[in-house]
Amino acid sequence: MDIATLGGQLFGYIPLGDIVLYFTPFNLFLFGGAVLFTFLIALSNTETQVEARFGTLKDREVKVGKAEFKIRRFLAIICGLATAGAMITGDLFNFTLFVALIGIVNIGLVGAVKMVDVLDSAFQYGIIAMIASLPLFGGAATILAATGTLSLIQLSTSNLITPMTQFASVLLLMGIAGETGIAPFYATKAEMFRTPGSPFLVIIHLSSLLVIIRAIEILLIINKPF
Amino acid sequence: MIGAEVLVPNLVSPVVVSLYEPALIVGLLTGFIGLLGIAFKKGDLTALILTDIVGLAMLIIVAAVATDLAEALILPGLVVELAEILAISEILMSREMRKSGKTVELLPLPLSLDMEILETAPAFLAVILVAYGVFLTGFTGGVVAGVGILFYVLTRAIRGVPSNIFEGVAGASGIAWTLWLVGFLIFFVAPQIWLLGLFMSSLGILIKVASKAGLIGIMGREEFRKEK
Repeated sequence: MDIATLGGQLFGYIPLGDIVLYFTPFNLFLFGGAVLFTFLIALSNTETQVEARFGTLKDREVKVGKAEFKIRRFLAIICGLATAGAMITGDLFNFTLFVALIGIVNIGLVGAVKMVDVLDSAFQYGIIAMIASLPLFGGAATILAATGTLSLIQLSTSNLITPMTQFASVLLLMGIAGETGIAPFYATKAEMFRTPGSPFLVIIHLSSLLVIIRAIEILLIINKPF
Repeated sequence: MIGAEVLVPNLVSPVVVSLYEPALIVGLLTGFIGLLGIAFKKGDLTALILTDIVGLAMLIIVAAVATDLAEALILPGLVVELAEILAISEILMSREMRKSGKTVELLPLPLSLDMEILETAPAFLAVILVAYGVFLTGFTGGVVAGVGILFYVLTRAIRGVPSNIFEGVAGASGIAWTLWLVGFLIFFVAPQIWLLGLFMSSLGILIKVASKAGLIGIMGREEFRKEK
């Protein structure tokens, strides 16, 4: 499918050898959104969870320590930048690498908490993310084998739609679903949100949403259903 | 494979082309066997080890493409694989520490490296290794030179001579990294001066890899100092 049809209009592209970045209003909006949110959480403080206690008038506060806060902020910024990179990249394998980086950083974001339940679900999510790297990279490599290129600009103009590319697209979709933790795998990810430190944890959710939107664009570019 | 005849140049032998499909099937089968193992797993550690098999199957599928580009894709794939298994094993360790209440050191050092060769071998061997590494350049040279630095640091640590010569190695490593990146960028933006880019990136990667291996030595030495 044509890039200009999907993204509004083609503003232009930066050819860096084999890697060609292209700009459409669609990509620029997603990129700007990810960068803006990253900037906001770089400035913000963490929340404090307050629980009322039974039988007394006192509250119980769950705070995030200073060292843990710094590491979390760093990982959240990395996650935001990786999301922004996945939005703007014009290379299929770079996209999968950014998605894999988001998966690793998501594990790291909840890795330092003190709740055993959350660590348990983070472990399950990590196993799923690691298994999902097989269809993710495998799908990208199969598309390379079937069409001879990984550049999205070239994929949008080529007319090679074989059973091989369709198989690879299914693999790619499975990989992205596992790595970002959407529909069949959402149970462990919902559990991960129970840790304190909210604005940094929201990036886990936002990154998976944005990646899914971009993945749909990429799958439409490769398969050209209409 | 409908598209293969179009894309593959004639000088590639048909045997190599026909190997792609078996390799892909082997990769998928390996992944499936790994998933079966996870389904029948005994514990969390078993699941983690079996997940690594699935990761290796991913490398098989990427390697099956067998072009220069596929070779360039294997390295990031391997790095992602290692990073993920490190992160998950860290989570597992942290959870077990919370459950049992005991803490474990991140690096189970100090090693008891009381080998005689470290006391008697001449430090000149390190000079030879570093010089040979500089002669080789690139990844291989970096590894050889790094082994030389590591050898030097280990022998010094065993003999008890305080050496702070390699404190600046970390800084040099960062500079070499930018040198490598700039050299790599030259290939894209100014392909006319590719020779300069080649030399810059090869020098950068040499210093980078050498200092990485050397830094392992420094970490080991710090642990030795703690012991004494």
